Amino acid sequence: MNELVDKITLCIERGKVNLASPYPKDMKGQEGADELAKQALAAGAGPEAILGACNEGMQRIGAKFGRGEAFVPELLMAAKAMNAVMAHLKPFFQSGTVKPKGKFVLGTVAGDLHDIGKNLVSMVVAGNGWEVVDLGVDVKPAKFLDAIRANPGCVVGLSALLTTTMGNMAGTVKDIKAQFPSTVIIVGGAPLSAEAAAQMGADGYAHDPQAAASFLSRFAAAA
Amino acid sequence: MLRAQLLDLASRGHRVPIGADLVLHRQSDAEAILCDGARLGAVVEEAARRFRTPLAFPIMDLRLEKAELLRFFGVPADEVEKYHFAAAPSAERRCEYARQVRRIEPSRRVAANLGALRHVARQPGLLPVGMCIGPFSLTTKLMADPITPVCMAGAGIGAEDDEGVALLEACLDLSLTCVLAQVERALDAGAKAVFVAEPAANQIYFSPLQLAGGSDIFERYVMEPNRRIAALLAERDADLLFHCCGEITDSMLESFGSLRPSLLSLGSSRRLWEDAARVPKDTVLYGNLPSKLFYSDETMPLARVAEDAADLAARMAACGHPFILGTECDTLHVPEHAATIRAKVDSLLAPA
Repeated sequence: MNELVDKITLCIERGKVNLASPYPKDMKGQEGADELAKQALAAGAGPEAILGACNEGMQRIGAKFGRGEAFVPELLMAAKAMNAVMAHLKPFFQSGTVKPKGKFVLGTVAGDLHDIGKNLVSMVVAGNGWEVVDLGVDVKPAKFLDAIRANPGCVVGLSALLTTTMGNMAGTVKDIKAQFPSTVIIVGGAPLSAEAAAQMGADGYAHDPQAAASFLSRFAAAA
Repeated sequence: MLRAQLLDLASRGHRVPIGADLVLHRQSDAEAILCDGARLGAVVEEAARRFRTPLAFPIMDLRLEKAELLRFFGVPADEVEKYHFAAAPSAERRCEYARQVRRIEPSRRVAANLGALRHVARQPGLLPVGMCIGPFSLTTKLMADPITPVCMAGAGIGAEDDEGVALLEACLDLSLTCVLAQVERALDAGAKAVFVAEPAANQIYFSPLQLAGGSDIFERYVMEPNRRIAALLAERDADLLFHCCGEITDSMLESFGSLRPSLLSLGSSRRLWEDAARVPKDTVLYGNLPSKLFYSDETMPLARVAEDAADLAARMAACGHPFILGTECDTLHVPEHAATIRAKVDSLLAPA
């Protein structure tokens, strides 16, 4: 049993999604996170143990990212492997047997259609045990407000690539803080900096997906 | 060739932003101008005059080629921005596109850009510059997830083993066809140089780990297509101005240098005075003040623009590499911050 769980951790760290996936090349033909999670559950492993294995795998790749020993592509592949496991754990989340670390409402702000940065953040944050509510791109403030109403206690993530949408991002932060002052907001995107984020009234700034995950981990630990 | 003129400008401490968008939005009907070649040309001309430069940099709109390409595939105009290929278009369809691409009437926006180039080409003292997205960056816009297949390919997985890699390579093939046709159109309209923007050729898409391990993906997916463009420009006696504002590694920079562009425009994450040793001596380095942050007085106060400009100019003078001081990317008009952006561009233009 422990061996299966350890293998899940390794598959996530290495980004091995399933048997069919040829990535990484040195694990081609081996079972991946998908099959191993299924086997572990069948063998009686608790969902918490599997979730713990996932978190360990993501922490390992996150630490490598922090040390410059892994980069966004490796982080993304790890998150994909993690998501393959999460599909098996979904019934346990739905029944309340296991709980996510929290809810993260995420979207690219109005006027901006770029989704790659947002999608990366979504996958990495989900891979770190959060339930992600992805609102998509070109999201108007009202849609964020509706999502916050529907997901009390959520953290909100705003993404933008275009300098021209900084005004929309600031406006969205303002609208959210006006109606939900205690809602924690994290922002990210090329035209941003920690200073600009603070000036907008956001609570955090993430330069990359791992920084967003780390911010949320600190938030969860402090909550 | 423009190279000699660029080197001359560099030797004289030339400064210029990429900022036609700022001038465009001084007009009340900017959107209409974008579809009117003569008026757009007048805007580009006015920008060059305002910035006291012979370099007539046009509007940098990197969405146009995607729209041109998808028009052939029947994607409605209002769906283009969000559209991604779900499966690789067949080889037959790609061949059909390659056969027809030069016969397809340009869209109104592209036609206006060509009209603007013709206008600028008629103005004495101005150097008409075309603008297009690079093939790899265009490819990333055609796919929902371009990073995974690049990573797969970087691990040595081929198109025959992975549908994602097959889609990536099919999209790259289409993108190169599209961009080559756009470059030809620009040259036919009078461009003396083409500014090829490859912002996605960076370490978000290409793992430095894989590249250090010997993967050839950067060469295959970025450099080979751009070598085709460089060859076309050389054949037509025109210059390549190459741009990448993404975060890159030193080896990526050296690859860009191997294109022998007349001008290499880099993002603000680079230390140009250190990069100088990695690029050819006759490639003018351009940039790289953080213009994406000009809207923010907290992050980029006005005084810091002058300080950073002076510091960069001094360091580049000390290293002796040809250099033109400018912006890291297109300086876009942001309505809520128009005055502060204008002030910072003025500050950039003012020598210490």
